Amino acid sequence: MKPTAQDEITAYVFAVRAALGDLPEAVREEMLQDLTEHLTEVMADGEGSLVDRLGSPEVYAAELRNSTPFVGGFPDPPPARHKPFVGLRDQVTPSLSENLQKVREQILPPLRVADVRLGKVMGYERASDFFALLRPAWWVLRGYLVAMILAAALDDGGQPIGLLPRIGGSDAVALMLLAAAVLASIWFGRRVTRLPRWPRFGLYAGSAVLAMVALAGFFDADSTKRDSYYSDVNYDNPYSSVEDVFVYDAEGRLVTGARLFDQEGQPIHLGNAYCHDEQGTYVDAESDVYPYCPSKAPFLMPGVRPSESSEPSASKSARAKPSATPSR
Amino acid sequence: MLPVDTTQLLKGVLDLAVLAVLRDEDGYGYDILRRLRTSGLTEVGDASVYGTLRRLFNAGLLSTYVVPSVEGPHRKYYALNAAGRGELQRSGKIWQDFASTMDDLLRERETA
Repeated sequence: MKPTAQDEITAYVFAVRAALGDLPEAVREEMLQDLTEHLTEVMADGEGSLVDRLGSPEVYAAELRNSTPFVGGFPDPPPARHKPFVGLRDQVTPSLSENLQKVREQILPPLRVADVRLGKVMGYERASDFFALLRPAWWVLRGYLVAMILAAALDDGGQPIGLLPRIGGSDAVALMLLAAAVLASIWFGRRVTRLPRWPRFGLYAGSAVLAMVALAGFFDADSTKRDSYYSDVNYDNPYSSVEDVFVYDAEGRLVTGARLFDQEGQPIHLGNAYCHDEQGTYVDAESDVYPYCPSKAPFLMPGVRPSESSEPSASKSARAKPSATPSR
Repeated sequence: MLPVDTTQLLKGVLDLAVLAVLRDEDGYGYDILRRLRTSGLTEVGDASVYGTLRRLFNAGLLSTYVVPSVEGPHRKYYALNAAGRGELQRSGKIWQDFASTMDDLLRERETA
């Protein structure tokens, strides 16, 4: 066997394999298993190049692909020759594969009926026709999700990422990353059927994970939006820990029965309108009239205990010592 | 109506034709192709025969053996096994019934 002839055969088989690239790997390799041997026989049996005698590898591949199915009384070909799970099914035991077949037979027909019925409602022949149209939209969304995950992984966590894939808070990086991820996702989307089986399954599995991440992100964003009132109170409002308000006049006297208003004349609500007195009994206070608990005032004149009833003696004694400073 | 297309007809009977040319003598791939063409199936392609042989072998209708060659490469010979012979008989019968039905149909139309 001359090396040139061997090279020619190798190249021919390679081209045929490429032309059958869309078939599942197991099916394709099964088809091509004997081809090198066979072409070697062909070469040895006559003159001229393979292309001259057999036509182009592409034509040969097409003929091979269409080579007859069994007809008439012939036994059925292995059931899933051209289906993607043929390799898998060959590996499982026959009884298991029969069971799988039964399950498929039970599940698939109702699904097809639902497909058609739902399709009528949507104005398509089948609902799956409509969903197939949404595929490119999913590619774009998938690109966005990949970009977000990349950003979350690469960002140092200094500031919140927001809804764009910012790295280090940069909008420019975010937009470039987004564009690259979306383009890559579309590129893969258009070529996924040409990938070999396992990379293709990997891509599908990755997409499923992304879909779950997307759902989790959606619910997270949703709950953040809904809880914003509480988060304001709990985290953003510097007065959230205020329980009571004590107003002192210019001479350091506690003002009781004070009311606070904002620039619009709206009463300002602060603290909790109740009080525990000395005995620890719970007492409701009039709301928006400060202080709620005069007895808890942080600064007290010596010898003076202002009370809720605001006794005149208290103000008198306070007035009697105008220079007094808060005791604490 | 669509004109009768030999390629389409061939698709239906190539399995049977391959079994038939192996009935009396074993053969290797390219040799089987030559026999089919010599018999008048001139449009049959090498890829179809190669594919058909693989399928018939996988279906358990053929057995194979390798014959070493002094000058050329080794050749993989295909032979009908018992299952293959049985299949040839059954499918051959179906074809003959079908063909004679078609013959009768065509003859009636001609004489009518």
